[in-house]
Amino acid sequence: MKTIYLFILFVVLALIQLSVPATMVFNNQSVLNSGTAYKFKTRPIDPTDPFRGKYITLSFDMNKAKTTDTIWENNSDIYVYLKTDSLGYAAVKTVSPFKINTDDDFVIAQTYGYYQKSNIIKFMLPFKRFYMEESKAYPAEVAYRKASRQALVNNTYALVYVKNGYSVLEDVFINDVPIGTYVDLQKSPD
Amino acid sequence: MSTKFVNTLPELIQNQIISKDTALRIERYFESKEANTSNKLFVVFGVLGSLLIGSGIILLFAHNWDYLPKMIKTVLAFIPLVIGQLLVGFSIFKKKSQIWKEASGVFLFFGVGAAIALIGQIYNVPGSLKGYLLTWIALCLPLVYLLKSKVLAILHLVFATYYACLVGYFESAQIPWMYLVMLVGLLPFYYNVIKNEVASNGFSLLNWLFPLSLTITFGAFIEVSSSILYLIYILFFGLLYNIGQLPYLKILKLRQNGYLAMGSFGVVVTLLLASFYRYWSGDFNYEYYKVSSFYVPILLIILTVVILVYSYIKDSLKPFNLFRYVFVLYLIIFIVNSYYATVGLVLINFLILGLGIATVKVGVDKSHFGILNYGLLIITALISFRFFDTDMSFVIRGLLFITIGVGFFSTNYFMLKKQKSNHNKSLNN
Repeated sequence: MKTIYLFILFVVLALIQLSVPATMVFNNQSVLNSGTAYKFKTRPIDPTDPFRGKYITLSFDMNKAKTTDTIWENNSDIYVYLKTDSLGYAAVKTVSPFKINTDDDFVIAQTYGYYQKSNIIKFMLPFKRFYMEESKAYPAEVAYRKASRQALVNNTYALVYVKNGYSVLEDVFINDVPIGTYVDLQKSPD
Repeated sequence: MSTKFVNTLPELIQNQIISKDTALRIERYFESKEANTSNKLFVVFGVLGSLLIGSGIILLFAHNWDYLPKMIKTVLAFIPLVIGQLLVGFSIFKKKSQIWKEASGVFLFFGVGAAIALIGQIYNVPGSLKGYLLTWIALCLPLVYLLKSKVLAILHLVFATYYACLVGYFESAQIPWMYLVMLVGLLPFYYNVIKNEVASNGFSLLNWLFPLSLTITFGAFIEVSSSILYLIYILFFGLLYNIGQLPYLKILKLRQNGYLAMGSFGVVVTLLLASFYRYWSGDFNYEYYKVSSFYVPILLIILTVVILVYSYIKDSLKPFNLFRYVFVLYLIIFIVNSYYATVGLVLINFLILGLGIATVKVGVDKSHFGILNYGLLIITALISFRFFDTDMSFVIRGLLFITIGVGFFSTNYFMLKKQKSNHNKSLNN
């Protein structure tokens, strides 16, 4: 009798354990399937996570905005509403400390500095980790530096899908080539 | 050892020292004991195997096989998790042995970690290591209870400590409140082990890991200037020592009682550090004091007093033990110190000396060389430290060291003699 209770409790636990990664898959896949794609200009560098492997940290060009709000706290949520600029990259339409009533896509970022004189608020976009195959993360950083020296403008961007405030980073591109492939191409002697 | 002994049994029977019946009983006793040891060995190997395979899977996933399609990687992520769940479900349903439960539980623990890690990697889920760790251990905490697994409890404790360090020290400097929640989540299990499984190795390990984890993470909960830091740490180690003296834990051997050992050692080291003059000169800037300077010491004092009162009710305060009351004495010294720095400093030195002498006395009374020499080490440390900030002549320093050296030899020698004479007496009786 006792065993069966124990077993039922375990089945419940097992379902909860399964539900966490399954929900992660479901939520992220839904954003990828039906979200809007934006290109965020970025610069990568490579650190390591002991469990999830090598990744590149993305530092985005889009990291500040003019604001009319004056009460900002560091490390708090900021709603960044998006538009696409003339070159097709993501740009800030407006920012707000809370959700506003509009149909525009938005992402929830973290604030890290407010400059009262210039009315500038700085923020960090949430999708700043891009996991890569372990041998490619550092070469990716090197490849980016090389590519950015050759070009006049920053031509590295992250492709991010956005839906209802959720965002999923799909891939990072250098000169419109996925960064993983770009690293492979750099390695091959052709 | 036991096989050797069993081999000598025929000789003992032949010389009529023991009867055949006794020999048989001795043989059976050792047989059952050996079966028990090999059982324990199986648990260790089973758990080690699961631990290695589990962490191996996580490492393999961490490589990031980017040429595999997303779909296949997603399915792969769930495989270790589901296998682990099936194994655990099987061992619960079929009422398998504890070896099964411990090994499958450990495998499932890493299965959960691997699944969240790989999904996070596939979708580039933002989020730091600390959030990931917290989700992982929270999802596995119920397993500790369902499987009654001490190994999972130990894993939980280790990962919770890692989490607290990330939050409190490495990734940010916030107070890791969720660590306390995770710790409290383990307490009912720990209490059950204290009550029912005192003889197990897992129990001794938990008795060391709990105070160790608390000592490591304690710093993350306080933000104070250095003078009050010593007060808080002495209160903290005093509390650990008093926990180690609780009726359930007091009866244990020292090697099983991490609270007592770490509490005592921590008190002595902190007192020695606090006995330097420079820490007391001009460090009383009250403007630096944060809220935690007040509620942390008050909480620690309340907890210690509660334990002392409980011990008094259970009649386990005797014999008198100076270490249990260090927190009050240091509190008095701390207050005196803020008015008369020199007097306070002298008092600290006397307190350390008192602790040293009291420890030596306990060592002599119990005829325990370890405790005796620990007491002597406390006194030696005190005297050596005083050489750094006093202007004694070399001759006096030299003589003092020789005196301590002679003290070491003579006390150990006398105790050895005492032990031998006691041994002889008991043999003669």
